[in-house]
Amino acid sequence: MGVDTISDNQAVIQTHDLTKYYGPVRGLERLNLEVRRGEVFGFLGPNGAGKTTTIRLLLDFIRPTGGTASVLGLDPRRHSREVRRRVDYLPGDMVLYDKMTGSQLLSYLAHLRGGVDWEFVGELVERLQCNLSQPIRSLSRGNRQKIGLVQAFMKRPEIIIMDEPTSGLDPLIQQEFYGMVEEVRADGRTVFMSSHNMPEVERVCDRVGIIRQGELITVEDVHALKERALHQLEFHFAAPVPEEAFSTLPGVRDVTVEDAVLRCTVIGKPDALIKAVARFEVLKLISHEPNLEDIFLSYYSEGGEHAA
Amino acid sequence: MLRNVFLKSLWEQRRSLLWWALGLAALTLLTVLFYPSFRDAPEFNDFLGDEDSLVRAFVGDVSDLTSPEGFLNSQLYFLMVPLLFLVFAIARGSGAIAGEEERGTLDLLLSNPLSRSQVLLHKFAAMVVAILALALIMWLSAVIGVIVVDMDISFMRMAEATLSAALLGILFGAVALTLGGATGKRATSIGVASAVSVATYFLNALTPVVDAFEPLSKLSPFYYYIDADPLTNGLNLLHAAVLVGLTLLLLPVALFTFERRDLAV
Repeated sequence: MGVDTISDNQAVIQTHDLTKYYGPVRGLERLNLEVRRGEVFGFLGPNGAGKTTTIRLLLDFIRPTGGTASVLGLDPRRHSREVRRRVDYLPGDMVLYDKMTGSQLLSYLAHLRGGVDWEFVGELVERLQCNLSQPIRSLSRGNRQKIGLVQAFMKRPEIIIMDEPTSGLDPLIQQEFYGMVEEVRADGRTVFMSSHNMPEVERVCDRVGIIRQGELITVEDVHALKERALHQLEFHFAAPVPEEAFSTLPGVRDVTVEDAVLRCTVIGKPDALIKAVARFEVLKLISHEPNLEDIFLSYYSEGGEHAA
Repeated sequence: MLRNVFLKSLWEQRRSLLWWALGLAALTLLTVLFYPSFRDAPEFNDFLGDEDSLVRAFVGDVSDLTSPEGFLNSQLYFLMVPLLFLVFAIARGSGAIAGEEERGTLDLLLSNPLSRSQVLLHKFAAMVVAILALALIMWLSAVIGVIVVDMDISFMRMAEATLSAALLGILFGAVALTLGGATGKRATSIGVASAVSVATYFLNALTPVVDAFEPLSKLSPFYYYIDADPLTNGLNLLHAAVLVGLTLLLLPVALFTFERRDLAV
């Protein structure tokens, strides 16, 4: 047990047709996924898509209906202790022992994991501005989440698995979290995190798997994803504009013009649109982050040609 | 105190354990202090009624309420002590796995390098230690009472009867723990374990009243707890071994069923 047979750039997490049904309800359907050592892998999908199911299968909290998973080359069930020794985890609905204080909790978890570098823990606590002295039940959701993050990072595990790590965090702390993730990557360690937030995934991840209704739709480099990123834009002009000026531009869809307002969806580079718009006097520009459904639709509508 | 699951389980129930200890000690002491008024009033024995009176289902098959053994058996050991131990044990046993699972902390706990079996065994050990601690307190409190009212009874026999009750409590705690581990539902575990304990209590306790129960009483754990009258005769090793043996038989069942199922989020 515990023999590391994995060299660099090989998969540290691998699933083969991994399937989970809860009774008749589909949780996950034939997931084939590969997460490589040293990357930050984002698992993107709406709530109920199967992200948490996947994570809980990897950690042996639930058992697959079909298919197999391996973590660090090990079977999560047969080698559950060894896997858990080398992987740390931030659960999705961050529930902690709420009668403990933060420092009691960290001390307990540190003991269970055979000790930690307390100096490093102190740094994490400082960076995330954790309140460790009060009972956890008296803390806000964001403050609990920060303690959850500290425990996931504190042992410097080979893999950190996080389920919706930034939920409840304020933007400044999110930035600090992104920094922590980048340091893990710089160490050559691996992060596997789920999210339903596209900008966040674009910000920190190297590769992204998109999952919906239990099925993996695609796995892409984050750069490729950005190229295909959808932006909904709205321009307000000083005077009415002709719809024909925009409707045939490459990479621009869903064009509607009402008097002096143009609404459209841009895929990838907005270059052509910006040049077309520049001929008129622009009073206001509004950009909407695309929601996940729109991103999924963009993949579906193109018949999966981008499926990795 | 937070070195492992066992110590942490005891640590987190320190307050409730203290209250239980105080309550149990007070109840025991007060009961024993009542003895002088029984000793001098043999007419209490009239309450017992006939050999097959229903009263015997709640005080046991005693002949003399005014003797030290008769008094302690009928007032403490037959019903009160096992009842309290069982309530405590079933609450602890059902909460051990299912409580943690329902609160949502089991995922976090099991993300540490622990197997499910280790967690279950640590929780079981914490429950056993807590029950034995309460038994010790109860015994000490009874001893103090016995000294105060100058009762002629062996401290050793009292310890043996108390231990027998603790073994019964541990058995039902193990039943609750097994049910909680197998289902992940605390309410189910409490409900079923309580129902089993009430049913088996009456199966044994009604034996003097209902002749038909006579052959069935040996199916009841309460039979192995009290039938040999450990307060008078000392711990019956065979009967104690049945209680311990049943507990040890339940453990692999608990480990197996907990190990193989999906945990709730």
